[in-house]
Amino acid sequence: MSSSLEGFPEGQVQFDLERGAASVRVDSSVYPLEALYGAAYVFIDRAYVLLDRAEGDAYRVWISPKKPAAEDALRALLGEFANELLSCAWRAQIAKDSRSIIEQATTRALGGARGAPSLDDLESFDFSDESFEDPLGIAMSWEEKYGKKKGAEGSEAKAAPAGAEAAAAEGEPTP
Amino acid sequence: MNLLQIKKPSTTFAMPFRHRVVAGKHLLTNTEGAFVLLDDAEFRLFAEGTVERGSTLWTRLVERNFVRAEVDLRAIEERIRTRKRFLDYGPNLHIAVVTLRCNETCVYCHASRANMDATYTDMTKETAEKTVDLILKSTNPSVTIEFQGGEPLANFPIVQHITEYALKQNEKIGKTLEFTMVSNLSLMTDEKLAWLVANKVQICTSIDGPQHLHDKQRKLPTKAAALPLALTGEGASPSAHLAARHWIGRINDEYGKMGLDTSLYHVEALLTTTRDTLPLWKDVVDTYVSLGCKALFLRPVDPFGFADRSGGRVEYPRKEYLEFYRSAVDYMLELNRQGVQILERFAAIFLTKILGGEDPNFLDIRNPCGAAIGQVAYNYDGKIFTCDEGRMLHEMGDDTFLIGEVGKTAYRDLMGHETVRALALASNLDAQPDCVNCTYQPYCGVCPVHNHKSQGSIFGRMRESTLCAVHKGIQDYLFEKIASGDPHVLETFKRWTTVRDRTHFLQTCAL
Repeated sequence: MSSSLEGFPEGQVQFDLERGAASVRVDSSVYPLEALYGAAYVFIDRAYVLLDRAEGDAYRVWISPKKPAAEDALRALLGEFANELLSCAWRAQIAKDSRSIIEQATTRALGGARGAPSLDDLESFDFSDESFEDPLGIAMSWEEKYGKKKGAEGSEAKAAPAGAEAAAAEGEPTP
Repeated sequence: MNLLQIKKPSTTFAMPFRHRVVAGKHLLTNTEGAFVLLDDAEFRLFAEGTVERGSTLWTRLVERNFVRAEVDLRAIEERIRTRKRFLDYGPNLHIAVVTLRCNETCVYCHASRANMDATYTDMTKETAEKTVDLILKSTNPSVTIEFQGGEPLANFPIVQHITEYALKQNEKIGKTLEFTMVSNLSLMTDEKLAWLVANKVQICTSIDGPQHLHDKQRKLPTKAAALPLALTGEGASPSAHLAARHWIGRINDEYGKMGLDTSLYHVEALLTTTRDTLPLWKDVVDTYVSLGCKALFLRPVDPFGFADRSGGRVEYPRKEYLEFYRSAVDYMLELNRQGVQILERFAAIFLTKILGGEDPNFLDIRNPCGAAIGQVAYNYDGKIFTCDEGRMLHEMGDDTFLIGEVGKTAYRDLMGHETVRALALASNLDAQPDCVNCTYQPYCGVCPVHNHKSQGSIFGRMRESTLCAVHKGIQDYLFEKIASGDPHVLETFKRWTTVRDRTHFLQTCAL
């Protein structure tokens, strides 16, 4: 096991040519976890990648190429990973900063392409009463949920003041 | 100019802008896509906020909305809306791969062609009809069906059936339809041509430059060739170039006989730039001019299909490509000065955005890109892809961009597919490192499929992207030319942004 690799600071990497694996220490205060996931994922077609907790506030990323690799190839892989990590971290920040612009353009583009549902699309909708579970009665009409019991309809109910329905719906006592 | 020389930069004078030094001048662009080119002294006044009110510089900056105190918000809103008009409509371009069979073998074939006996790669009538039914569900009122392959002429009955069936079905729908066919032309006959012309199918072909280069890169086997004997000579090897040249002439003659303006109606050709093309920039331009073409698209080779395997033989550093590009377009500008009408397609696309304030909706260079929301590719077997490049990757064993199958997937499910959503986000330049701060952001676009293939993720890294190098290099060249102020160049550039609709090819049914 060696802890030096050309181009990387001493102690930042661990390097095991016999096992064909290398690791790099990533400071968690510099790189967000979502950037680490994003960068690691890019390499899974070429290498086996393992994320681990290193000493202190740091992650350690182990990368082992799927095909045997010489020192140069391992170094290149770690270098690519470092660049991808920076790119992912920066992208995560930009996505936060530009969120409203990105959402607006994407919504407009996808909405424009999908259009409104056609009659054919509506055919596949489920309009039956038992289409979903509704234990809290959210989809029930007011009459179903708070209406008078059968036989209780009378002049008293008809004379209920305006606003009584809303108050009843909110669960407040009516005057 | 060292930017540190700006002692007291103003934080209140300027609207947000992006900056790049081009040809010794300061190029500034803003959100709405307006630009100004300033010399050192002008830029210092701008940066320090000391531009004299009412001066020429003040007027130039105000007209283009670079001065915060004078900003016209309504104009900005209108210009952005105009540029992004394409977002309100769904896919216009629908690529139908009617067969993978092809009678030519090209060193860079992006489509992964199949041999001529591979008839199992022919689209069936049933798949063709389901494909058309789906295409006509697009939210776009204008639809272009592009026949591709392989070689579409190898499965000509399906080209005919799709055209006729689409026209018939459209009688109830009323979209504006266009049909185009991308063909090497070597399987063309008089009968096929008569049908294509009568049914208003536009024809586009590939020309790789002068005959020796074209024939070296595009092999036409003797057995498969059905060429007039006069073209090749008895016993000689068939020439793909001569076959294409022969039919380009014949097709253009037909348009002329119909009374169409042949400066507008003629066969368009596409170039694929390989390593062998680079020193032949002048021969390439001369070949296109001699064929009567008015446009030349200097496309670099892509890492798809056979080009991926033969990359060592056909690829090149993009720095060399950009030298080739500059030489070729310089020469084209010189020809224009002499009265020859020939334009470069990359330049025309960027200039339409830079000078015209419009987006020509070229699907590979727009923001977000046109994957599915601008174009859809339908394979011979009914599989549906976000774009032709995604379909090319499928032929290489990568199904990342497969989003459905005709007859099984509903149109709205295609457009709402998770891959489509991911591509719309990945190709949004406001979410992309580098692009977000790039001076060319208002005019540019990225290709997530290219990123995925060349860099392993749909986001890619623009600093190392060959596509970014090409886009940036071309726009550097164009702004250098604009900065030079040569009236002839500016007049030519303006002309290259003028779009003349080929209305003859538009087929509309009155409902």
